Amino acid sequence: MTILIVIVVIVVVLGLMAIGTYNRLVALRQNTNEAFADIDVQLKQRLDLVPNLVETVKGYAGHERGTLDEVTQARAAAASAGTVDSKIAAENALSASLGRLMAVAEAYPDLKANANFMNLQSQLSDIENKLAAARRYFNNAVREFNASIQAFPAVLFAAAMGFQPREFFDLGADRAAAASAPQVKF
Amino acid sequence: MQALGLQTYIWNNNVRSILLLAGFPILLMGMIAALEAAAAAAGMVQVPPGASLAGLILGSAPLAIVVAVVWFAIAYLCNQAIIDGVTGARAVERGDAPELYNLLENLCISRGLRTPTLRIIETDGMNAFASGLHEGRFSVTVTRGLLDNLDRDELEAVLAHELSHIINRDVRTMVVAAVFVGIITLICQLAFRALYWGSWGGLRVRSRDRSGNLGLFLMLAVVIAAVGYLLAIVVQMALSRRREYVADAGSVQLTKNPDAMISALMKVAGHEHLEAPQSVRAMFFEDRDEGVFGLFVTHPPIAKRIAALQQYAGGRSAEPALPASAPAAAPIRPGPWSDPAEASPEPPGAPDHKPGPWG
Repeated sequence: MTILIVIVVIVVVLGLMAIGTYNRLVALRQNTNEAFADIDVQLKQRLDLVPNLVETVKGYAGHERGTLDEVTQARAAAASAGTVDSKIAAENALSASLGRLMAVAEAYPDLKANANFMNLQSQLSDIENKLAAARRYFNNAVREFNASIQAFPAVLFAAAMGFQPREFFDLGADRAAAASAPQVKF
Repeated sequence: MQALGLQTYIWNNNVRSILLLAGFPILLMGMIAALEAAAAAAGMVQVPPGASLAGLILGSAPLAIVVAVVWFAIAYLCNQAIIDGVTGARAVERGDAPELYNLLENLCISRGLRTPTLRIIETDGMNAFASGLHEGRFSVTVTRGLLDNLDRDELEAVLAHELSHIINRDVRTMVVAAVFVGIITLICQLAFRALYWGSWGGLRVRSRDRSGNLGLFLMLAVVIAAVGYLLAIVVQMALSRRREYVADAGSVQLTKNPDAMISALMKVAGHEHLEAPQSVRAMFFEDRDEGVFGLFVTHPPIAKRIAALQQYAGGRSAEPALPASAPAAAPIRPGPWSDPAEASPEPPGAPDHKPGPWG
């Protein structure tokens, strides 16, 4: 009889622990989703800004067709990206091409002095700042979630319950490409 | 459970807060048990143990309850007026401070809250506090010095900190703590009063040998009451500090910007002076008060608050985030979460800074 009670108590305690752990994981996963939604808001604002920027640059540096087309295509790809992972990749490509566009713009003093361009540039830099903050928060939430599903006792059942580690929003290799000088072709 | 990031850090602190709150009834029961034991040791209790003490407490209960109810009613109905009176805060509308009001309103919209009343204190001190006990009466108060010296992001971080206090119902928690401290204070006063009057027979305790053992009991009772009172204050202050850590973390959850919170703390450090009684100061954004071993201060040290933000919220420094900066996936090194400051949580690659020059 006593043994039965002990077993029941142990089962109940284990069950409560499992429920608690599961609920924590759900909350942490929801945290990462909310954090990504905040990034998404900034990304959308950036997408709205890009066509204006391209038009303005075109007025002064229309023959920089390669760079301009690249930005337009990257924007289209980012706008049509469906899944989170493909969105991250497309947005990183857009960041890189925008960086090259800004580098090209440096060579045109008239463009740099244009009030509209300056306005767009400051808007873009504001969005990039907020994006950096939102991305940092997202990565923080992802790190917490990933660490939680790998911690004991969650590691025993997290995968079976469908908790998969999430990707960081990392500039990674694209950042190196953005930093290097644009390629010159003859 | 170890704190792995911001959310788990908040959970841990909430668990600690609950444990601290649970400490009050335990402390109260412990005091009563100790008093009974003291009475037994002094040989004053014959029939049911503790009856004399229960009689002592119950005997003075009616008056105490009336006083407590009246005091609580006044506090409940007039707390905002009292706070406004001692701090000189005045309520402002959207038109009076549109930018500040918008900042607060945007934060509230993101959490689906009714915007609290906004109040401003015309003083150079840099501080802020949240007040109000229930929905519709919540209020966020900031000083003019804060508005003049902080930039937009830092101000948002401070407002979010106060809003976190409101979301977490911290004012209510601290009221519960204050009620327990009040009860323990009452026992304390009873013990001291008994010491004064007991010697000339004002205390009606069933005692066989009044002259000998009553003195011993009263001495023990005073010691127990004093220790209990000190412990109650220590727990109350520890709870207050715990809620500050949670509000700092909650602020980052609202604004997503740990750096703004850090630079706001650095700017406020040393300039937080705002004239108010201790009980009101406990609610401030920041408050410095010299205490014994930090046991009697309402707020954790600024350096520890910043260290916690760096370790759990991904905060870097007082500098604003640079555009397109790498996400700096700094590995967190979870130390014992009870003492985040000792883990030296400087993420690699972060610019060096020491709190101090800003103070």
